[in-house]
Amino acid sequence: MSESGINRRDFLKVLGLGGSSLALTGCGNTDIRSGDELIMPNVSPEDFVVPGLSVFYASTCTQCGSACGVMGRVREGRVLKMEGNPQSKISGGKICGLGQAAVQVQYNPDRLTQPMMKVGNGLQPVSWDKAMATLNEKVGPKSGIKGENFAFMTGAMSGHLKVLVQNYLDSLDSKNHFAYEALSPSIGFAANKQVYGVDMPRLHFDKAKLIVSFGSDFLGTGASPVHFAAEYAKFRKAPRGTLVQIEPKMTMTGANADRWIAIIPGTEGIFALGVANQLLKHSEFTNTVPAGIASLVSKYDPETVSQITGVRPELVGHVASLLWEKTPSIVISGASAEGHAHGVQNAVAIQLLNKILGNVGKTIDGQAKSPFPQIAPEAGSFSSLKAMNDAMGGGKLQAVFIHGANPVFTAPSFMGFRDNLRKVPFKVAFVNAADETAQECDLVLPILTAVEEFGSNIAWYQPEGVEITMQQPLMNKLYPDTRSMGDIMLDLVKQRRADEYKNWPDFFSYLKAAVINMKPAVKYTDTDEHFWYDTLSSGVIHIDAPQEQIGDSFAEAALSLPEVQNVQDPKFPFYLVPSERHYFRDGRHANCGWLQESPDPLTTIVWDSWVEIHPKTAASMGIKEGDYLEIASQNGTLKVKAYLFPGIHPDAVSIPLGQGHESLGRFANGVGVNPFTILNPVFEKDTGELAMFGTRVSVKKTSDSEIVVKDEGPVSTQMGRKLVVTLPADVAQLSKEI
Amino acid sequence: MINTFEERDVAVEKRFIHKEKDIREDIAWAQINKDVLKSLERPRMLFWVIFIASLALFMVGVSCEIYQYQTGMGVANLDNPHVWGLYIGTFIFWIGMSHSGTLLSAILHIMHADWRKPIYRFAEAMTTFSLMTAGLFVMVHLGRVWQFYYVVAYPNERWTWPNFQSPLVWDATAIFTYLTSSMIFLYIGMIPDLAICRDNATGFRKSFYTFLSLGWMGTDRQWANFRVTYLTVACFLIPLAVSVHSIVATDFAVSQQPGWHITSFPPYFVAGALYSGCAAIITLFIVLRYVFRFEEYMTMPILEKTAKLTFAIAMVWTYLNLVEYSSTWYGDDMYAKQALIYRATGDFAPYWWMMNFLGSVVPFTLAFKRIRNNIPAMLVISILLNVGMWLERWMIVSPTFANGIYPWTWDHDQWPSLVQWGIVAGSFGWFNMLFMLFCKIFPSVSMYEVKEMVYHRSLVRKGTEDATQINPELAVEGGIAS
Amino acid sequence: MSITNLLNNWSFYRNKRPYRGQYDLNKEYSEYKWAMALDLDICTGCNACTTACYAENNLPVVGKKRFHHGQVMHWIRIERYWDEKMVDFPEQGASFLPMMCQQCEAAPCETVCPVGATSHTNDGLNSQNYHRCIGSRYCSANCPYKVRYFNFWNYPSTAWPAPLPDQLNPDVTVRTKGIMEKCTFCVQRLNEAKSRARTEYRLVRDGEVVPACVQACPTSAITFGNIVDPNSKVAKMWKNQQVDLYKDLQEKDNTVRGYRILEDLRPFPSVMYMERIRDTEA
Repeated sequence: MSESGINRRDFLKVLGLGGSSLALTGCGNTDIRSGDELIMPNVSPEDFVVPGLSVFYASTCTQCGSACGVMGRVREGRVLKMEGNPQSKISGGKICGLGQAAVQVQYNPDRLTQPMMKVGNGLQPVSWDKAMATLNEKVGPKSGIKGENFAFMTGAMSGHLKVLVQNYLDSLDSKNHFAYEALSPSIGFAANKQVYGVDMPRLHFDKAKLIVSFGSDFLGTGASPVHFAAEYAKFRKAPRGTLVQIEPKMTMTGANADRWIAIIPGTEGIFALGVANQLLKHSEFTNTVPAGIASLVSKYDPETVSQITGVRPELVGHVASLLWEKTPSIVISGASAEGHAHGVQNAVAIQLLNKILGNVGKTIDGQAKSPFPQIAPEAGSFSSLKAMNDAMGGGKLQAVFIHGANPVFTAPSFMGFRDNLRKVPFKVAFVNAADETAQECDLVLPILTAVEEFGSNIAWYQPEGVEITMQQPLMNKLYPDTRSMGDIMLDLVKQRRADEYKNWPDFFSYLKAAVINMKPAVKYTDTDEHFWYDTLSSGVIHIDAPQEQIGDSFAEAALSLPEVQNVQDPKFPFYLVPSERHYFRDGRHANCGWLQESPDPLTTIVWDSWVEIHPKTAASMGIKEGDYLEIASQNGTLKVKAYLFPGIHPDAVSIPLGQGHESLGRFANGVGVNPFTILNPVFEKDTGELAMFGTRVSVKKTSDSEIVVKDEGPVSTQMGRKLVVTLPADVAQLSKEI
Repeated sequence: MINTFEERDVAVEKRFIHKEKDIREDIAWAQINKDVLKSLERPRMLFWVIFIASLALFMVGVSCEIYQYQTGMGVANLDNPHVWGLYIGTFIFWIGMSHSGTLLSAILHIMHADWRKPIYRFAEAMTTFSLMTAGLFVMVHLGRVWQFYYVVAYPNERWTWPNFQSPLVWDATAIFTYLTSSMIFLYIGMIPDLAICRDNATGFRKSFYTFLSLGWMGTDRQWANFRVTYLTVACFLIPLAVSVHSIVATDFAVSQQPGWHITSFPPYFVAGALYSGCAAIITLFIVLRYVFRFEEYMTMPILEKTAKLTFAIAMVWTYLNLVEYSSTWYGDDMYAKQALIYRATGDFAPYWWMMNFLGSVVPFTLAFKRIRNNIPAMLVISILLNVGMWLERWMIVSPTFANGIYPWTWDHDQWPSLVQWGIVAGSFGWFNMLFMLFCKIFPSVSMYEVKEMVYHRSLVRKGTEDATQINPELAVEGGIAS
Repeated sequence: MSITNLLNNWSFYRNKRPYRGQYDLNKEYSEYKWAMALDLDICTGCNACTTACYAENNLPVVGKKRFHHGQVMHWIRIERYWDEKMVDFPEQGASFLPMMCQQCEAAPCETVCPVGATSHTNDGLNSQNYHRCIGSRYCSANCPYKVRYFNFWNYPSTAWPAPLPDQLNPDVTVRTKGIMEKCTFCVQRLNEAKSRARTEYRLVRDGEVVPACVQACPTSAITFGNIVDPNSKVAKMWKNQQVDLYKDLQEKDNTVRGYRILEDLRPFPSVMYMERIRDTEA
């Protein structure tokens, strides 16, 4: 033995370390018995896999539309955890809980693992060959599907997948790309367009001394929560900025405000005009603000405003004096101010304050303009759902594709979306899990999750320059019978335009070629291959594009706010506030245990839906926590547990969105209720968007009651303990801190 | 006080003529043997009813424990931070119960209160069995009961020791010591009686008792050694008993929790222990008296004396309880005061008030002679007192968890599950079963001590020459001490 | 602590606890003492830390019923308090408090554990030895913050339906029924960083390693580091906020925000909180 270089001691070590098979390997690669089996070492790692060491790969989080750059922690070929990618200007190396849950989407026990086809009333598994043959038969060149007959519904989209979808529609001569987001920012976009001439200006919280937010939950939901949270942290450092939040139901942002003001939903614009009226009393503004504006706001004295908005009159002057004292400031509007029939006008009235105060150019300026309009983001809207619904109802559509949206779940019941969808002869869903919409479809195709997929994304809110965040697989696909959405799209495009796309066997090669095409815009000088690998390893492409110009004159601010608001409706006396939970949004990721068990920040409720009602209102109706209430609108009734919540206007009740799934998976099914169903057909006048906050409801106490499952104990105060101590801002000396 | 034989005779005369006797002094020794040994033969039907019921209850407890062992502690409906519940409460209850035997056999033995003689044997058995029950609760309570031996300081190759700072280690040590000592004490005290059993038994029983009686022949030397040993163990046991419950009290007193962090806890626990122990003696006294037809030995005057003792201890306990409340109330520990208010007004208020009522008000019924001499009433009262004492232990453990220092974690839902109740019920079954078995197998009345008692009494009664040979003070003590 | 040691230094132990190097008389925290600083003014209560902790530390999802029974396992939880003087509306917002194991220097849990399953490490952590734990739950009973979580159920068999176990962090064990667990300051990350640093003959650099919650926090409200290193950010912050690890009553200016929770109970926590600020004029 010793002559061959292995002494007994070493031999034993080898035995101890690698087990017998490893030791036997040292004797030559012979078979054990018959020669059929070659002896392999116990651990035979893949390339780039070092057992016991984690490797971080950059990618993009697609859990919401912010397109944060993330890093996936990969060990032994499995992605374990998502972290922020410090190279991404959007995430800044940070990540929210929704982003963390991407791995739970990936390893979700209820993922769809093979194609399904409708047989009778149920879905039956089929092979991919069969599925693609069916696709070819139903929508291929010989099917006669063309133009108006076909519609493709997607969620918010950007990047090269969007290009492929567009190209596929082009190949069909169809213009029916319906990008639908249940919680879309389009009303705000319309208002911004009117005031600033752009969809979305860039907001500099860090430069502001005061933020007055009318219902904008920028920390929780909004355009880019992780980015805005970082900006908020800078805003709170010395010199500490002040946050004033005006909204009907306290959001997470409201919970962090120095002053939180409860307001009747829909009257935010009036309040803003009242504040403007007070501001214009300062003679400094007489030269800068046109007389038209002054006369427009002059009728909104504090008393009138107070009557309409339900806010104490002195607060109008108070907010105005804060805005006067703390400049530069920033005034923003959010979902609860915009989701009304006059939502755009509300938002315009709010943005008007920025113009009066001269914030434009100081704390608000234009975003960088992307040099690649074809991959620019499509934020999605409700009107596209409406258009598609009308088209389906009219019987025009012969085939629809649905990807990235769950309209059967999120469409209000008054639309009859489910019935209309059933009228379409051939419906295809591209999903990770067989959700409510997939259950209605004829063909359900399982696609890869975001962590298995290549892709490119551009957020519609860009904090600095233009950031194209790259998506790359963090692991091999978990299920062999799932396919890349990009590959499927490429196959579909090739049905009609095989020649044009023949150079790209798969989406990867297509994406690579397309990204390398961008090289000049990034001013990258090395080779194409290097550019590609640099892009993938850093996860982001930064383009220093020029800023968009935004309007700072008053010309655009034409206002037509309805005179009479705050009308009492005896049959439906309460305003419904369908609140957006920061980890649930429209409910597409409700099937993640982590998210279900992550307590709602304000109520700390888990695994449920609830209706928030002000303790005073509850007391007058004899409602206690846990009582089941019947919340009825014209379009339906929900039975929900009551939670007494002081952060809500006494005339409003609030039900969180995102729960109430029937078919998403074991963690989501049967949990809570879906307030989308009872929304009234109230539409924003200028944009045709659904006015989410325009629904009136009645509240009826039932005899049922059940304990509310929450993290909070029986008391909600500190009971005299020194747990969270609050220091007045004028005492604190933040500038001396580290 | 008593200076002459004449005076003594007058006093004795007065007492024995006008008062009921602790025991008839004319029982023949053979009769005592016969009566007591009969309890090993054929008890009343009620014995079997109690035994079967206890066995059934025990099986309920066992099945609950198997379920809990398999599934996890969650089935007990404990939660974070309410991590202790009925198990610990009932554990203290059983530890407390174990003090009865030591009180009767050791303390009263040293104080020469000879009325204890007919009843101390079963009280000692109670001590042993309730300690065994308490030990079970420590196991039942552990999340990983299969690793319980980590608490014991045993030598091992890894040189890992238990944490001697922890009161739970003191607990484990104290309970093991107390359990072994009380078993030895019980056994030593039984040896002469086992010899009587041996002499009267046949068949396999004969060999059983022969083995256990260790060759007892009743020689003078044996008696002399026996006396010394018995007294030594008794003296050893008394501080041990006090320390065991003090240590259990330190489990709570050394922690930071409001409502536990109280220096008066050790005496308070000991008083509560003696209290519940005495009450339990009354209950079992009545049961045994009926089941084994021990009316001759477990007489009404003895019951009355036990009741008086119980009353006295109840008052001590009440006093210490009030000390606890008032020191909390007038102290400046905000958390403790809040916890006290919570006990009186919160979710546990009904049980807390019931505990105070049963523990401090109900014993006043014992002040009435008519009640003390009414067996059904005494049975009910003694059980009520023990319910009160059990509630006391629960009220020490649970409300503090439900309403501790940290308000965020105040309890969501703290009601014990059926599994917890089942195991608590099972512990009563286990205790009763063991106790009944003991009474069936071993003489539950000490024959030789009763004989001594009868002999002394008869000497006193007759005022014979023999009586003058013994210490006059001693002779009348049995009367005066009561 | 040996008995000889105890007897020789009796007056010291009687009067002064904790003190520097209390767990080993010959060695102060010469290399590492991990500590945290948490700014409550910029904590938004978003729960990103909680979810990150679930992902990093293999925390089981317990479900609604068990959550209701208080058997939830969140090592870090966000508490939300309303103002005691609130009239009608919470006009100054809510108070959020992220609460995790405070890694106390004189930890109440450590002294009461019968088997010594929880004890202090040389880098100042309050460690929990799962193998040694027998589940007496005394530590949780004595923890003033109630940040210890007991495995009431056998979560490995129920909480991760396939293929969710593929997500589990191989650096962290999955805890079985009957044992206590709690925040570890992500000790698996600390140990990895320490051993990496040791192979390079240096100490762990400031910011080289952070727990999952710190890494995720979108507002960077949590600062983590080695307080022995006077140049680390966390040491500077503690000094700046006039909080001394070994004092139970801090003598500090009222403009300074640093404080530790329930300091009067003298557990000497290693987490410093910085007071929430509210603009009273707003």
